Amino acid sequence: MASSANSHPLPKLYKSVIEDVINDVRELFLDEGVDEQVLVELRTLWESKLLQSKAVEGFHNDEHQQVLQAQREPVQVQQPPQQNQNQQVIPPATQQVPQQQVIVQDSKILQHVNASGMSAAATAATLALPTGVGPYQQLVTSQGQVLQLMRVPNGTQYIIQPQQHVVLQQQVLSQMQPGGVQGPVIQQVLAPLPGGIPQQTGVIIQPQQIVISGNKVPPNTQVSTQSPTCVQPQAQQQPPVVQPPVMLQVDGTGDTSSEDEEEEEYDEDEEEDKEKDGGEDGQVEEESLNSEDDVSDEEDQELFDTENVVVCQYDKIHRSKNKWKFHLKDGIMNLNGRDYVFSKAIGDAEW
Amino acid sequence: MAYQLYRNTTLGNSLQESLDELIQTQQITPQLALQVLLQFDKAINTALANRVRNRVNFRGSLNTYRFCDNVWTFVLNDVEFREVTDLVKVDKVKIVACDGKNTGSNATE
Repeated sequence: MASSANSHPLPKLYKSVIEDVINDVRELFLDEGVDEQVLVELRTLWESKLLQSKAVEGFHNDEHQQVLQAQREPVQVQQPPQQNQNQQVIPPATQQVPQQQVIVQDSKILQHVNASGMSAAATAATLALPTGVGPYQQLVTSQGQVLQLMRVPNGTQYIIQPQQHVVLQQQVLSQMQPGGVQGPVIQQVLAPLPGGIPQQTGVIIQPQQIVISGNKVPPNTQVSTQSPTCVQPQAQQQPPVVQPPVMLQVDGTGDTSSEDEEEEEYDEDEEEDKEKDGGEDGQVEEESLNSEDDVSDEEDQELFDTENVVVCQYDKIHRSKNKWKFHLKDGIMNLNGRDYVFSKAIGDAEW
Repeated sequence: MAYQLYRNTTLGNSLQESLDELIQTQQITPQLALQVLLQFDKAINTALANRVRNRVNFRGSLNTYRFCDNVWTFVLNDVEFREVTDLVKVDKVKIVACDGKNTGSNATE
């Protein structure tokens, strides 16, 4: 224990500060009538932000990282207890199948389509991920691929497979009626990957009425059997619509209209090229126009560079001609993104 | 009152951000958040004074200096920070130092 304290004095210090602060404000919270739960949440937020900053090495090192790893290994889509949200497409029932398959819904409703041998992309696509899932989640599919799920506030979800560079787009229409059958829940557009996905190039779930409520047994088998058959003919039709491999769509739902817009843009580019070849005057104007569009790289570098800061108290500051001497104490430093502390610091500088 | 100096650190900023989130969701009042920060000031000042026992040396070139309201602010370039264990080099560092004598009148602002 002592050796660990010497090698990583900072995490212990920070933890002890957090402890002290939390304990000291507990009374304040109670006086204000604020629930203890909020205090716990404050602590959790605080510690997680510290972890995220990576400024402290070995903060919550062993315990927390083990917990984090343990959370990633078992295949779980995190289902936060947000059961009250009406926008949730699927009733919040997270279940784990011993075969480590990703199951999001109740077992009666939509079973994991792994049996049909679909690819990871298809598998995740059929899951109709709820909107209640947090903004950034990781899915581990049955084939052990780690998909990253991004949820954009407008309700569209994107699944990014880092390996295969496939960007799947899922739209979960949150048209849930309490206790009723939902309308077409899932639309999907897939970018086919040549040679990327071993078995099938994609899955298209046609707008069907997928019954999510617990009353009826949905046409589950229909979904699983229809989709393979649907894929192939449509996959053949889709190759001409090849989209660039890694495409993060930031705007709204992916419709065919977007394809039309892209075609229009290509035409405009061709026209601009012709104009450039035509006249020098046009060329000059366009250059000056283009130069204004440039964002200087320096700004980005400045933004990403850590401002190295030392916050401390001074015992004595001394100057002789242009030679300065600093006697400092009780400081916290952030250098190159990492945190350091000192009880005493002595420095020299020339001005 | 203890210096509010240490609020602009990783520890302090993460606390402020967390408090801001709780205020956003109206789980705490801004007044309560302020109280928490004041408590943080005390705790960090005490911790640094009592629980830290290491020494650092540094050398560099002084770019600017400022002394205002009993607060020194320096900007140094090409600085090497040396501790017994390791060495850290930075191109630019800003040092903000409050008066180390126990007057502690830097409460507001």
